[in-house]
Amino acid sequence: MQNKNISSVLKSVEKPGRYTGGEYNSVIKDKKKVKCRFAFAFPDTYEIGMSNLGVRILYDVLNREDDIWCERVYAPWLDMAEKMREYSIPLSAHESGDSVKDFDLVGFSLQYEMCYTTALAMLKLADIPIYSKDRSESDPIILAGGPCVYNAEPVADFFDLINVGEGEEVLVEISRLYINMKENGSYSRDAFLRAAASIEGVYIPSLYEVSYNEDGTIKEYRPKYSDIPKKIRKRIIADLDKAPYPEKLVMPYIETVHDRIVLEVYRGCIRGCRFCQAGMVYRPIREKSPETLCKYAKCLYENTGYEEISLISLSISDYSELPRLTDGLLSWTDDAHVSLSLPSLRLDSFSEELMKKVSSVRQGGLTFAPEAGTQRLRDVINKNVTEEDLRRSMDIALRGGKNNVKLYFMNGLPTETLEDIEGIADTAKKVIECYFAIPKPERPKGGISVTISVSCFIPKPFTPFQWEKQDSFEMLEEKQKHLRECITDRRIRYTYHDAKVSRIEAVLARGDRRLAPAIALAVQEGAMFDAWDECFDYDRWIRVFEKCGIDPDFYTTRGFGLDEVLPWDIIDCGVTKQYLLRERKLAYEGKTTPSCAENCNGCGANKLGGKNKWCK
Amino acid sequence: MVQVNNTPIVLRVKFFKKGSLQYISHLDLVRTMMKIIVRADLPLWYTEGFNPKPKLTFAAPLSTGTESECEFMDIRLTEKMDTDEALRRLNRNMTDNMQATEAYYPDNKFTSLAYLSYDVRIHTEGDAAELCERCKKTLSGEDITVVKKTKSGMADVNIKPLIKSFEVYTEGGDIALSLVLSADPSAFLNPELVIRALRERCGILSSGNLISEYYTIIRKEAFFADMTVFR
Repeated sequence: MQNKNISSVLKSVEKPGRYTGGEYNSVIKDKKKVKCRFAFAFPDTYEIGMSNLGVRILYDVLNREDDIWCERVYAPWLDMAEKMREYSIPLSAHESGDSVKDFDLVGFSLQYEMCYTTALAMLKLADIPIYSKDRSESDPIILAGGPCVYNAEPVADFFDLINVGEGEEVLVEISRLYINMKENGSYSRDAFLRAAASIEGVYIPSLYEVSYNEDGTIKEYRPKYSDIPKKIRKRIIADLDKAPYPEKLVMPYIETVHDRIVLEVYRGCIRGCRFCQAGMVYRPIREKSPETLCKYAKCLYENTGYEEISLISLSISDYSELPRLTDGLLSWTDDAHVSLSLPSLRLDSFSEELMKKVSSVRQGGLTFAPEAGTQRLRDVINKNVTEEDLRRSMDIALRGGKNNVKLYFMNGLPTETLEDIEGIADTAKKVIECYFAIPKPERPKGGISVTISVSCFIPKPFTPFQWEKQDSFEMLEEKQKHLRECITDRRIRYTYHDAKVSRIEAVLARGDRRLAPAIALAVQEGAMFDAWDECFDYDRWIRVFEKCGIDPDFYTTRGFGLDEVLPWDIIDCGVTKQYLLRERKLAYEGKTTPSCAENCNGCGANKLGGKNKWCK
Repeated sequence: MVQVNNTPIVLRVKFFKKGSLQYISHLDLVRTMMKIIVRADLPLWYTEGFNPKPKLTFAAPLSTGTESECEFMDIRLTEKMDTDEALRRLNRNMTDNMQATEAYYPDNKFTSLAYLSYDVRIHTEGDAAELCERCKKTLSGEDITVVKKTKSGMADVNIKPLIKSFEVYTEGGDIALSLVLSADPSAFLNPELVIRALRERCGILSSGNLISEYYTIIRKEAFFADMTVFR
């Protein structure tokens, strides 16, 4: 993989199999016949990056093009990163072992805000300047995509080009433009970026000037040239059923996080939970047909040998063709010793039939997400599940032998009171009551265990709660303590997220371009893998914010004014501000909104087109 | 795929594991092989019970960081199949650094494997000829005691009786060792331990620079107790 003999280096680090490549189904091309070398960089460990569906899809899409070679790059773990610095071993791509610096295009997948420092640390390991403005003609073009780019402003100065929305078509168009301009001699970094700005779904941060008001809020975004779009509209794949989907998967030798076949059933969500960014930015909803999905499942099984197929989407039980899909899969999976799994279940549409189809023997547990502890707060956040749904689902789950129940909640939601927090503990108690309400011979042996996992609410861009204040971390810690005191039953296990991480995450999720120096300084001071508890250093973040004159409260506890220019107003994700404001008002009135399947609520995403059953 | 025959037929596969694959641990190799044999569409025999799985057994697990030209695994099948066909199907589903070289129906168990031979190359910044002499002297001694991690903590072990034979010579400026070591599960000697003993006693690999000084180990051949080639 490398020019230097690094065998002793590899023997000295943890899990060297992370760095060696050579996996079955990885794509090797003839360098001489390739016109564009694309490095797909994932700013986290190999084990996490290999499990990412977006990477799998885009790796496949780009490599379908004969003259483009897409390779994978992952972040080396701390031990390896240290050795790379010590021995001047540059960051390299998995397939060829070539240095990332020598690639044409390097695309980062930004899946969560806490990976920003890792992405910058990777650029440093690759010996590429981290600021876009400092890169020379010989450096690669650095791209970003993924869910974080719905507000990429805090990292906008580091990326040359940002892909907003689904990447299947855009990344190929960008690569084609690059190849054409190189071939006809018109290529320079500036000329390329200027030309790329006219591709729909492409955002070139350096082509905009941002000005600020005296109170620190944003005054305006001004394009530097008249032909540069004022807003960047997200790209979507119109016909998802016909969109390319990988028929082979790169098979990791070492164990990864999601070591299985993943079938993407649909994009978007009909629900509209008011805290959920994914539910808004992936609209409009577009389903794949059961026939297409069954075809891919069989093909992927034959090409991988995986024994598990996971059906994924934001809320799998909302898939309109679920019975046909599961029946189609079950017609062969049992005989082939392949099991089905569903990662996300809703309490209101969970059924005995569904539970029996998803296999069963291996996991004794089920996970649900009521998100809030009282009906009042669940109505505020538009999580349309009731206590009756909970009782009914628990009865089915428990009778089906699942005596290990995990429930997800959130602290710090708008309008939350102490009563709502106590409601979380009550909900867990109700699950235990459900267990004892079942006659002894019919309930699972071994008792019942309930885990409640509570995260901290972060008001995310492009949600009806985007203007909300985040609770201070002291307040969140107070609430966590109160909940702990409410839990007296030893059968209830309580875990919660670090409120300090959530505070930094909120700053990075809601921030603007003025954060860039602080992020760069954090990396300078050694920040990497902030998404990992053992690497996250709250005090370092506070220190760099202070040094750079940034007040974290400005982005968190202050809340944003309804008429304020938001950092992410430069992006058009489909859903309109009017809709988000309407939903916000309904939240404060405690009124729910029906799902897209029941009624079109006019969110605005239909203007993006796309084949689907619901949009008007 | 209804399983009729409950007595599995054992198919033995000899394979090599080289290059970047030396960094794949034994546990990961087992997981990888499970997927390979499923893709190869062999008539796999599955264990009975709640969670049926194919059954694979490996001879003498290989340490991470060691290459091998002679790995063995036994696959359980429901019916006999043509061994050439099995080889073809397996190799189609493996990468260049790991390929099967033989497949046959064995008449013994892995417990009759007694010795394994290894080739070691040590790249050094020092005087290879002098270091070579020192290694030879150390390996010729009666007592080569090293500290070894065992199930019950650290223990002193004299590895000399576990070294069946050795050769030390220089080649292209490197120190080369050919070792035949015990593979008996109760007295298994890992070649890494021999290298450690030499490092502690002879000053090889002493620079601390992982790029300029390094070593490679390749497992070459397996033997029965009478030193005939294991099959």
